[in-house]
Amino acid sequence: MVLKVFFPQCCNRADSGLLVGRWITGHDSAVVLAVIHYPFIPGQVKRYIQQMQAQSGVELSVLGSWSLPKEGQEGMESFLRDLSTIFPQERWLQISREIGKTGFICEIMSQNGKKVQQEAKNKSVEEEKDTGLGDGEKEDEEKVIFVHYEQRKVMLSQLHPTETGDHDPKSEPPSELRQMFQTVAQSKPLFFLDKYDDGPLKSTHWQSEGREASIIVELLKQATVPLCLLVTWLLSIWTWICNIKIFSFWPLHFLSSKLSTCVQLSYRTEHMRILSSPKPAVGHTQFMRKANILVSFLVDVALGILLMSWLYRDNHVSVLANTLVPVADHVAKELEELLQWLMGAPAGLKMNRALDQVLGRFFLYHIHLWISYIHLMSPFIEGILWYGGLSACLGLTFALSLLSDMVALLTFHIYCFYVYGARLYCLKIYGLSSLWRLFRGKKWNVLRQRVDSCSYDLDQLFIGTLLFTILLFLLPTTALYYLVFTLLRLVVVLFQGILHLSVDFINSFPLFALGLRICRPYRLAEGVKFSVLCEEPGTALHLLMEINPLKGSTVVQTYRTPTYSCYPRDSWAALIKKLFVGELIYPWRHKTTKTD
Amino acid sequence: MEDEAFTDISGKPITLDCQNHSSFCREFTVSSPKVSIGKVMVYTCAVWLFAYAVFFFTQITAVLSGAILITLVGMMFHIHFVKVDHESLLVIGSLGIQVSSSYASGREITTFIEMSKIKDIIINEAIYMHQIIYYLCVLLKDPSEPNAVSSVVPLFQSSKPRLNCLVKVYKSCQEILSKSQ
Amino acid sequence: MGQRRKVAAVNTHPSQRDIGASTDAPRVHNRKHNICMVSDFFYPNMGGVESHIYQLSQCLIEKGHKVVVVTHAYDKRKGVRYLTNGLKVYYLPLQVMYNQSTATTCFHSLPLLRCVFVREHITVVHAHSSFSAMAHDALFHAKTMGLNTVFTDHSLFGFADVSSVLTNKLLTVSLCDTNHIVCVSYTSKENTVLRAALNPEIVSVIPNAVDPTDFTPDPSQRQDGRITIVVISRLVYRKGIDLLGGIIPELCLKHPDLHFLIGGEGPKRIVLEEVREKYQLHDRVRLLGALEHKDVRGVLVQGHIFLNTSLTEAFCMAIVEGASCGLQVVSTRVGGIPEVLPEDLITLCEPSVRSLCAGLETVIAQHRSGSVPSPSSIHARVRNLYTWRNVAERTEKVYDRVAREEVLPLDRRLRRLRAHCGPVAGSIFAFIAVLDFLFLVLLQWLVPDQVMDIAVDATGPLGLWRREATSKREGYSKQQETQ
Repeated sequence: MVLKVFFPQCCNRADSGLLVGRWITGHDSAVVLAVIHYPFIPGQVKRYIQQMQAQSGVELSVLGSWSLPKEGQEGMESFLRDLSTIFPQERWLQISREIGKTGFICEIMSQNGKKVQQEAKNKSVEEEKDTGLGDGEKEDEEKVIFVHYEQRKVMLSQLHPTETGDHDPKSEPPSELRQMFQTVAQSKPLFFLDKYDDGPLKSTHWQSEGREASIIVELLKQATVPLCLLVTWLLSIWTWICNIKIFSFWPLHFLSSKLSTCVQLSYRTEHMRILSSPKPAVGHTQFMRKANILVSFLVDVALGILLMSWLYRDNHVSVLANTLVPVADHVAKELEELLQWLMGAPAGLKMNRALDQVLGRFFLYHIHLWISYIHLMSPFIEGILWYGGLSACLGLTFALSLLSDMVALLTFHIYCFYVYGARLYCLKIYGLSSLWRLFRGKKWNVLRQRVDSCSYDLDQLFIGTLLFTILLFLLPTTALYYLVFTLLRLVVVLFQGILHLSVDFINSFPLFALGLRICRPYRLAEGVKFSVLCEEPGTALHLLMEINPLKGSTVVQTYRTPTYSCYPRDSWAALIKKLFVGELIYPWRHKTTKTD
Repeated sequence: MEDEAFTDISGKPITLDCQNHSSFCREFTVSSPKVSIGKVMVYTCAVWLFAYAVFFFTQITAVLSGAILITLVGMMFHIHFVKVDHESLLVIGSLGIQVSSSYASGREITTFIEMSKIKDIIINEAIYMHQIIYYLCVLLKDPSEPNAVSSVVPLFQSSKPRLNCLVKVYKSCQEILSKSQ
Repeated sequence: MGQRRKVAAVNTHPSQRDIGASTDAPRVHNRKHNICMVSDFFYPNMGGVESHIYQLSQCLIEKGHKVVVVTHAYDKRKGVRYLTNGLKVYYLPLQVMYNQSTATTCFHSLPLLRCVFVREHITVVHAHSSFSAMAHDALFHAKTMGLNTVFTDHSLFGFADVSSVLTNKLLTVSLCDTNHIVCVSYTSKENTVLRAALNPEIVSVIPNAVDPTDFTPDPSQRQDGRITIVVISRLVYRKGIDLLGGIIPELCLKHPDLHFLIGGEGPKRIVLEEVREKYQLHDRVRLLGALEHKDVRGVLVQGHIFLNTSLTEAFCMAIVEGASCGLQVVSTRVGGIPEVLPEDLITLCEPSVRSLCAGLETVIAQHRSGSVPSPSSIHARVRNLYTWRNVAERTEKVYDRVAREEVLPLDRRLRRLRAHCGPVAGSIFAFIAVLDFLFLVLLQWLVPDQVMDIAVDATGPLGLWRREATSKREGYSKQQETQ
């Protein structure tokens, strides 16, 4: 078997002493956490370790001894060996390093400490004398790998994929590396012992160097508590208003579920509730979630305020309002012309004249209604824009959602046309398909969900075939209207889809996690990588363990805040099929979205 | 440390470098030939000549600067994302297997697989483009079913050595794996 | 081409070199072949061709030959797999066009097939089924590469309609320079010889077989007081399911104790379902759906009469299986069916509802009077009629004969194509053959043969399968890495 010793880099040059750490059960590996220097009183060391064990919940123990002989220190060997009797352990590591050499020498003593043999060439070898087998001919060579790690990085890093909550006792124990990372992360209390403290024990391990900064952080944490309380109070008032009965009645409820501003509002409320909860975040995922939401909220508000400052400078609002009405007018004019074109012989196609005229007049009347509505509205548009612009102080997402809603309202006529066209077309397609079955002597069996053969009367066949012919010849006219209005609708839907996507993007993008990945790559670890340190022949193998940071794409994937757009949506093929059979399409997020 | 010459599946020479760090730790490095100057020159010249031809007929100078930019960006892209200089496999008994590939620009992608997740290392056959090739891969254990294979990690993906080279790596990997299990 | 084979012979293992040297020696019949079975149809697809290829391969492996099977990828089953006794199957990622048959362009399959032929040291390419485009492609490429070719035809074709005229032309082109053709019955041979305008001397008849140990009678499974008619076939037009739909109501009206047991799946299932609903025969007509091969015997032994309503059939394995289980067989008189069983074991009828009903009536009457032979006596007679070992022996002889023949070099092949297939089609295909040859030369320049790794033998004279049966390499399912 091979024994693995995880050794912190900061202890490389520590003075001689005792190694404190933990044996990882089942994996034959030891994690060294700190070195306690000479001189010490064994009783105090034991008490200290027990204290630390209670604080951190890690099974700490004295692993062995460490010696870095300085000049004038001789005869340590026997002393070190005697130490093992003071701290009884199953195995006792005796690691030593010579000045001028990079490699370590390691000896392992079994519990009874009967016999420890060291090979002539410094290779650490334990020859186990099995009392049962007599003279121990079976040479069980035990080799050692030293894995050097940087204590600070390992302590702060989070191994991915993160574990969910409590560990299930039934499943396998976590892997060796995960246990090692956990051990280092949990033994934070051990690292509080400062090297300048005048305590009875002195030790070497990683030490925080920015005490002052951490004091400021603590103060800030205290300061946020009243802020959180305030936000919670405001939120409770807001939810109380939202839950008033008027809003749950049908028309208002329906409207608010369709208006993207309202959706965004409820979404933001949910976020604020998460942020303002006075409990500190438990676990890594929750902490990251909170941090991501906070950062994206701040960025959102900052962008919104930028937008606002642009809108209210130089009277941009009235300029916008003055251009908006002519644009709507122009669109209506263009539509009117399009309808006139369709009522003639569009693209040289010969339509059914009567149906064509009926449809065309119907739509023309709609446009007429629409234009009068716009003219009625025009004096108020500037006011609406001015007050709407204020919503940008809540964040850019609000402004975008409001824009999307306004576009939806301003293009309501296109939507109406589309629905009429689609319904008509859909009806014809269904009629045609069922009559085609009749034509072939089949029918749809609803109970069994399949096509059965069926014998029809002569009358039925006659009427059916007649209807089929009529529908077939009227189809091109309807299909043309449907096609034109679907294209118009798709343009609107595309625009709204882009707005929704950008809102979603701002809401869900994990800015904090990405920032952490760039500035502190070791904090989010995908795994580790090893490199072989240049070894001197004869000594044990030395590996350097570095942290492999998570890939950028994985960071985005893991930490993006879930929104509607994360749910699976219709594929392109399904969309095209829907368009073909004339089903309605919507830009609303929980239905199909056209853009991705 | 020893160097041996092998070829990859399309007949280009590659070298296999076995480094014995200790009896249970070995590193195998497969290096492909470097980017040849001739090839770079040929591609660059082709792009530039084409750009010059376009320039000759249209008299737009932006084409020329565009061509220079394209060759530079293409070159950067090639050495940063496409051209793999060498791939290495570090097998450490009872700790795990580390697979890394480094690109010509020095970018290195490393993954470490713990020993507890590894089921075995095998040589497998696969259909690759219009050829059937042998490749070396690591079988990963399914955590729920200890006997099932959850996924396969192919090794030496970009250099694709031939069977004789794979057998050599396979044998010494198995030596270490059988010792540590 | 001759050069290429010499190079290959030098590269091979010592014993194979011995074999190469003994080509002209009299001990030809001892020679072991490296056979490549090519067909679009193989497991997991189910059917007659599939089981034929599998059983034949197993028997040839038993005889010490090396066999690999090449087919196209089925869904997620791509790459290289091993079946029982180290039978290696290549599932090549070629596009499936229609009815599990691949699309053919004559060229796109060459690189992969060449790779298989070279790395496995193939000497004989054996293609199956004229419906399989991949089989024809493989024949074409094998001839270009200078390998011996054998083709087995499993089906019959008409001559009248446009599609058969076209397919027959293609078959003529494909078979005109194939070394040997195997048919499953004399009717099939006649049909193939006529369709492909072949010399009858290079066409052999080797019937299909069934595993008699799998199909043993068990009269105790039959239900007393009723007569059960079993039909096991794919529910498609070719199998005459429309006839079956006409028979069922007519007989069920006459005989209240008659039951139908129908195994199989297909587009014509709806015909049977409608008949069942229309005449309210839910308790008497049972549709079992798709059956696995191992379940077939369990269904067969429940019946008294086996009914086959095929409209065209080269060699019907189903009736042999039925008879082997001790059932009375009633079948249509089409294709090679009359050759399959001795006359007293089968009742043949014309493919019409009336004739089939009459035939069934007589058998039912015999049953009622008890004048039918006992199941075990029928089984004893059928047991040794068709066995796979026999088929493998006869196929081996074909291989021995083929191995002695020379493969036509390109110039003679072109001349033969033009002489044999008519001036227009012959010239077109001669041109394609030249293109194929040039493509092969290009591939040989891009990836020379010596760069390809020689596959580790699982079967054959140097097979590793038996010696290292426990070796972990072979045990794992093979996964494919597509990049």
